[in-house]
Amino acid sequence: MGGTYFDKVHRWGKISSLTSLAVMLSIPLAICVYFDVWPQASVVLNGLLKVIPLFWSVAVIEVITYAPMLGAGGTYLSFVTGNISNLKLPCGLNAMQNADVRANSEEGEVISTIAIAASAITTTIIIALGVLLFSPLLPLLTKEGSLFAPAFQQVIPALFGALGAGYFAKHWKISVLPIAFGIVVLVFAPAFPVGTLIFVTVAVSLLGAHMMYKKKIV
Amino acid sequence: MDFKESGFMYLLGSGMVVFILLQSLFFMKKAWGQGKKLGIKVSTLKNTVVSSVLFTIAPALAILVTVITIAGALGLVLPWIRLSIIGNIGYEVTAAQSTLEAFGIPGGLNFEVKDKTVFAAAAWVMTVGSVMPLILLPLFLKKIQKRVGKAVNANAKWADLMSAAAFIGLIAAFIARSVIGAGEKDIAGDGAGFLSIATLLSAMLFMLVLQRLSKKPKLKWLEPFAMPLSMFLAMGVTTVLTLPQDIINLEWRG
Repeated sequence: MGGTYFDKVHRWGKISSLTSLAVMLSIPLAICVYFDVWPQASVVLNGLLKVIPLFWSVAVIEVITYAPMLGAGGTYLSFVTGNISNLKLPCGLNAMQNADVRANSEEGEVISTIAIAASAITTTIIIALGVLLFSPLLPLLTKEGSLFAPAFQQVIPALFGALGAGYFAKHWKISVLPIAFGIVVLVFAPAFPVGTLIFVTVAVSLLGAHMMYKKKIV
Repeated sequence: MDFKESGFMYLLGSGMVVFILLQSLFFMKKAWGQGKKLGIKVSTLKNTVVSSVLFTIAPALAILVTVITIAGALGLVLPWIRLSIIGNIGYEVTAAQSTLEAFGIPGGLNFEVKDKTVFAAAAWVMTVGSVMPLILLPLFLKKIQKRVGKAVNANAKWADLMSAAAFIGLIAAFIARSVIGAGEKDIAGDGAGFLSIATLLSAMLFMLVLQRLSKKPKLKWLEPFAMPLSMFLAMGVTTVLTLPQDIINLEWRG
């Protein structure tokens, strides 16, 4: 097996991506086989169709945007474990800065890969340990009638409020339109399903942001 | 302990952990070897590892917290798996919610999922929704890397904006729902109302405050925790707001 390091990394990367894909898909498959439950394809598809247009387009944008910054090895590894923009990417960039190497150089490739591998290992171990240590506590928190049950019923507003505030602070101009649109839709159709609503708000958001970009408002 | 946290599920989780660790170690070893060939000092390589580990601890704990928040509905193990392999809390929650709606389940993720079929379906949607990068990379990464420099640099700002806009669009839907969406008429507490708005606004407020604070030099460590902390604090506000009801109930039962 010859070829440069560049060629080799891409070969390993392709193999690792495909094996990761298989591992990922085997999880829900194993759940179905073990519990002997086979959800109707139409329902699953229904759920999927609402998220795929968004998720898969973002995936394309992310791959194109992050690949140049992370190098080959770093990119293959980052995408397997996720949490790229909030963890792997800054970690890789930080490491390259500390080692004083350029992002698209051979050295950058090496440093970025090592940094992201270290990060992936650390994340995986921390989350695994956390889950194991926390598991006896969970039923206490979430069972019906417990003090905390109402809080767990408001996870969605809590999560998206926190997540949103961060984004809106940075991008308030492009945030107003989709939120306003979402609210207007719900005023007229209060039970509009969230999956479809997302379609609408994302489309509005993208169009609005693009127009603002063209008009140099952002 | 119900099916969501059975030995079998933990087995799946453990398998996944081993897989990720092996893959990471493989790439690290190869890169290390190449680094030495390129003449990079071993001390630099070691420092890279140490600094990356330290850098990661806080964000990893933050991700752990998000796993716990959706564990109420989906058990600990599925969120654990999903957030460790191409995971991102905003997307996983959306995918799960979308599945529950497809089943016509009132309340969505606000309540525990007790049906195995629904659980399995949620696992499928969360997984398939996220697989795209693993298909794109083997097909395109090498080509992208070859022509990348000029194209992305010219449009990096636009690409960043579009990514942010997509994510903002997603968040906007949930926020709108928390403000004015209807839940199922029979279920108390899942439609928009005082509690959801109070929680939403608290979360936003806490986040803005914590982000501000984390810009101060001594408080930089706060930054990755700002989001999960805000979430937790907002949920704390919910708990406090529902306390009077608990107190009243206690008296009645007593």
